[in-house]
Amino acid sequence: METTVSDSPPEHLSLIIDLSPTQWHLSSLDTNPQPLSLRLFISQVLVFLNAHLASRHDNTIAVLVALPGKNVMIYSSSDTIEESDHQSPLDESNTYQPFRAMNSAVVQRIDEELGAQEHGETEAPIGLVGALTKALCHINRLTHPTASANPSIAVPTPPNPRILIFSVSPDLSTAYIPLMNSIFSAQKLKVAIDVCKLYGEDTVFLQQAAHLTGGLYVNPERRDALLQYLAMCFLPSTAIRRVLGMPTQDHVDFRAACFCHKNIIDIGYICSVCLSIFCSPVPVCSTCRTKFPIKTLQRLMLNRPSPLSNGHQRTASPAPQR
Amino acid sequence: MPPRRRDGAYVHNAGTSSESEGFDDIDDGNYGDKRKNKGKGKAKDTGKGSQDKGKGKSKEQAYAWEATYTRSWDTVQEDEGGSLQTAVEDLLARGRRRRLLEPSSAIRRTIIRHLMLLLDLSSSMLDRDLRPSRFDLTLEYSRQFIVEWFDQNPLGQIGIVGMRGGLGERIGDMSGNPQDVLKAISDRRRLQPDGDPSLQNAIDMARGSMSHLPTHSSREILIIYGSLTTCDPGNIHDTLDACINDKIRVSVVSLAAEMKICRELANKTGGVFGVVMNEDHYKELMFELVPPPAQRSASRLTGGSTNFSADLMMMGFPTRLPDTSPLSLCVCHSQLKGEGFLCPRCKAQVCDVPTDCDICGLMIVSSPHLARSYHHLFPVKPYQAVTETGLSPSPKCHGCSHSFPEKPSATGSDPTTADVISPLGRYRCPDCEKDFCADCDVFVHDVLHVCPGCQ
Amino acid sequence: MAVLDPTPSGAQHILLPFLYSQSQTSLTRLYTRPSACLAIYRLLSPLERQIIMSLLWLESSVPASVFASWVHPNKVAKQQYDTAISSLTRLHIIPSTPGTLAKLLLHPTFKASFRTALTGGGTHQSFGVPADKGEKRSVNVEFLDSYAVERWETILHYMVSSGTGQSPVRPSQGVLYLLQRSGLMSAFGGGSVLRITSAGFQFLLHPPHSQLWDLLLQYLHMAEERRMDLVGVLSFLFMLSTMELGQDYSTENLDQTQNAMLEDLRDYGLVWQRKTSSRRFHPTRLATTLTSSLPPLPSSTTTSGTDHVASQGFIILETNYRMYAYTNNPLQIAVLNLFTTLKSRFPNLIVGALTRDSVRKALSNGITAEQIVSYLTTHAHPQMRKNVPLLPVTVQDQIRLWEREKNRVQADEGFLYTGFASQIDYEYVLNYARQLDVVVWENAESRCFFGRADGHESIKGYVTRLRADANGGGGQGA
Repeated sequence: METTVSDSPPEHLSLIIDLSPTQWHLSSLDTNPQPLSLRLFISQVLVFLNAHLASRHDNTIAVLVALPGKNVMIYSSSDTIEESDHQSPLDESNTYQPFRAMNSAVVQRIDEELGAQEHGETEAPIGLVGALTKALCHINRLTHPTASANPSIAVPTPPNPRILIFSVSPDLSTAYIPLMNSIFSAQKLKVAIDVCKLYGEDTVFLQQAAHLTGGLYVNPERRDALLQYLAMCFLPSTAIRRVLGMPTQDHVDFRAACFCHKNIIDIGYICSVCLSIFCSPVPVCSTCRTKFPIKTLQRLMLNRPSPLSNGHQRTASPAPQR
Repeated sequence: MPPRRRDGAYVHNAGTSSESEGFDDIDDGNYGDKRKNKGKGKAKDTGKGSQDKGKGKSKEQAYAWEATYTRSWDTVQEDEGGSLQTAVEDLLARGRRRRLLEPSSAIRRTIIRHLMLLLDLSSSMLDRDLRPSRFDLTLEYSRQFIVEWFDQNPLGQIGIVGMRGGLGERIGDMSGNPQDVLKAISDRRRLQPDGDPSLQNAIDMARGSMSHLPTHSSREILIIYGSLTTCDPGNIHDTLDACINDKIRVSVVSLAAEMKICRELANKTGGVFGVVMNEDHYKELMFELVPPPAQRSASRLTGGSTNFSADLMMMGFPTRLPDTSPLSLCVCHSQLKGEGFLCPRCKAQVCDVPTDCDICGLMIVSSPHLARSYHHLFPVKPYQAVTETGLSPSPKCHGCSHSFPEKPSATGSDPTTADVISPLGRYRCPDCEKDFCADCDVFVHDVLHVCPGCQ
Repeated sequence: MAVLDPTPSGAQHILLPFLYSQSQTSLTRLYTRPSACLAIYRLLSPLERQIIMSLLWLESSVPASVFASWVHPNKVAKQQYDTAISSLTRLHIIPSTPGTLAKLLLHPTFKASFRTALTGGGTHQSFGVPADKGEKRSVNVEFLDSYAVERWETILHYMVSSGTGQSPVRPSQGVLYLLQRSGLMSAFGGGSVLRITSAGFQFLLHPPHSQLWDLLLQYLHMAEERRMDLVGVLSFLFMLSTMELGQDYSTENLDQTQNAMLEDLRDYGLVWQRKTSSRRFHPTRLATTLTSSLPPLPSSTTTSGTDHVASQGFIILETNYRMYAYTNNPLQIAVLNLFTTLKSRFPNLIVGALTRDSVRKALSNGITAEQIVSYLTTHAHPQMRKNVPLLPVTVQDQIRLWEREKNRVQADEGFLYTGFASQIDYEYVLNYARQLDVVVWENAESRCFFGRADGHESIKGYVTRLRADANGGGGQGA
């Protein structure tokens, strides 16, 4: 009879928040149609996290933040939080204790991390992929509590994991391979990656991430109604999403860009050694310095299809960094 | 040769108990010689027993059929407290050691692979020395192998040939779709083992279906062989030479005993040969062939013409049609479908990528498929076991943020594992010098292929 | 007893039907408390929860048709959605608006309170007022756990050993009354001695969580009769469920009803107080897990170490019907004794076997085979969890067969009619009996049939009339 609360496994949500100071500053400017400041955003995310925890007693969360050149896990449900300064008892009676503990810890750590940022001239690239890999490591530990754990203790049902990324920064082409590897790992772990693009252009990489892992990619049209987006799209578990329809993305670009001109191409020439992509037959691979047989070149030149329209578009697959 | 033959025949007789008299010329049982080597090598591989005991034992109990009475609980060592911790650590150590041996720098690997899986479907596969039977176990492992293989080689293709009744039987055509390949071996009854196998017929058939392939892709044959004989129409050494000429890499997993021709096939073509000792070892041998092979320099073969068989390939990146697009017929199954991919050259609709377009023959891939192979090209460096913490060790694993144990584990002093197992449970990335726990170490290297610290 | 109706899995929480039956006004009063909203929210199904969340932050109403269009257009999803909406309507969380142009909107009180629960703040104090720090040493969690376990097991143990001649510790009068009132035990003989009923046996095999709710539901019914303020009772229960374990709370802000409840709940083991007059109370794990799926009892073995083993299960059942139970808990042993034959007992282990007799004994007590199987499943030792299926199929099937065996013979009271003089007579009477629909069995060759008792008078009359017509045939009671 307790089935309503226990028949399905609990949900785990790993939240990755992109805290790029520059982007958030740009986002909060009044020139935007709907300015969204970091403060406002954090407060809405906290309510969202509370809602996630409210659904079930054993739902868990982990919060990671990506900063320029850095990423930190700032909160995890499995941590025990040392009680900080106690509020007056009357205040405590008005808030559910687990919410209060989590919220204050998250806010405090975000302040710490932002405060520790150096204000240099240029911002280092955002450590989003690092945060994603950490989230995957964390989920791996949660869902496969094997080796190091004491085998005699039977573990409770492992939670149903999900990752939600709040992104404000543009794609980072250097992070392409690590990101793709993370996506494939997420597929293996059966983790859906949801992406909420809060500011800036759509990112092709994260669109692919959401698409390949069966997650959602949402670029809210109205950022002032963010909480509603969060509650409707990102709160439901994968099981609920089978009942309630969710926004889908029809246009995920899976075409590749050549390494030489960054053109998006339909038909490309690929080095069999390093899988570099070229838009026209080349004698030597620019990535791995492999020389290609002259016969192939001649054959390909002959069969070459009519020149493609070379629109300068955003890359879907830039050169791997060696 | 005669005394060795006797040796081989004898062993064979003891194990498979049937058809020992039908030992013909082709079956060159070079067994007694290899056996000692094998024994030692395998003992290290299984590593279940402790090292000191293992070596002595391995000579007696190298192969499943030689063990009269397997007491699996004997191979697991308990420590004083009755815990299995040491045995478990030993297993971990083995995995770590294997990883350390792998090359850490970027190496050339064959990314585009073509593999023919040759399954022995002769009556010897009905033997029950591997549980539940050689045949059932082979089918089960083949399925797992195919899934894993396609996961790691998204641009590869697999075909399946069976050896039964003295013939080679085409079971599954070369295909890049795991579902198609799995479907080919899904019907157990259709594959019921019968008669004698023929290596030559099967290899020739496999060779034929790979002859048209371009040089930059690998051609591989994996033979699962349960019989100790082969029933061939001609000289198998001609076939072997043909394989060498075609640069086909032949690997053999033998379920019974070593046969000279099998070892020769593997050795001369650059493949791997192994004899199965038990169920786990079988799987290990098979799955060794999953990661793409490092590219050998061509000179090792026939003193070939160019250095590497590198080439430029033409590939098409299809347009993905969403589920809501108007229905049209796909060229692969002739079914009305909404979702699918459009060949960029001839605009034919196919159901799944990667594939070769049925109309114009263009190889169709999507960029994630290319990306899936990148981790073979840029592997993560193995982590070093940390034996001493520095001044201010990080309290938590850099990956999963779980706390490290406070005190070193007592079993860490075991000399057999000390080189790879950290008593502190810490493993350090040589590049970013961040510490990771054992779980994350395995996860990062086996699944993630990205070091969280270096990002 | 409707309470003990063994609802199939996947069913809703046992409390919800009770809430359905409440009037809109009392529910509205209940919804003024954020803690109650949070607790009720947790009892709902995942889909219901999501619907609430989707509507929670909207200021205007959504046409029902728009919302329904978000549901996947397959039958199962549609059905789930309709059930969820109707459930929410019955709880008045979504006020019902008749007509096709129905709008979906959360009940304003619920919306406001639940928002407060999620965002925090306000002055409602519905999550309990912690007592002042300092003065006395605080009580640790282990103590509270052992207290809860002791109280709870006292109740169960009293039930299971009633009628066996043992005299375990009697729970308080209030508990006894509740047990009797709920039909789990009934007065036997003179009236002072209580004896477990068949419903009680079934109750024993339920998981602790539903046992707890069973009793609390009875308590709610009783509270209705005792003219207690039901909303006060409910909101106090919900408040307890959102409290922190190990924290002590002040009684000062409690109203009269709730103070009275404290006393009862103390008897059940849900709260602990140092003294009856103490101005602070500690909720135990039984209380704080009311709306979660965590095990409500930390350790069922009487506080002796190895906590996890007990909560994970302790029974190993073999295919040969032997059962090994790693326990020294008299309650668990007594419960096992309901359907097994215990053979030997060791300090931490008892050995027994499922036999036909032992299972039949349980069946005759009103326990069903399903309940035995589910009890064994939920309490299976971690070692057993590796098996697929968890319990040996032979044993499972046999238990079910034994149950069916019991149902194989169906007793009908009635009469056997024999000795008809002629075939025609026999057929006349038989046809008549058929028209009455009382024939249970018939055999034309030996000219006899069996009719149920309720038709006997009519058949007798008919035969007499026949006899009057012609001197033949006869009916005999058998």
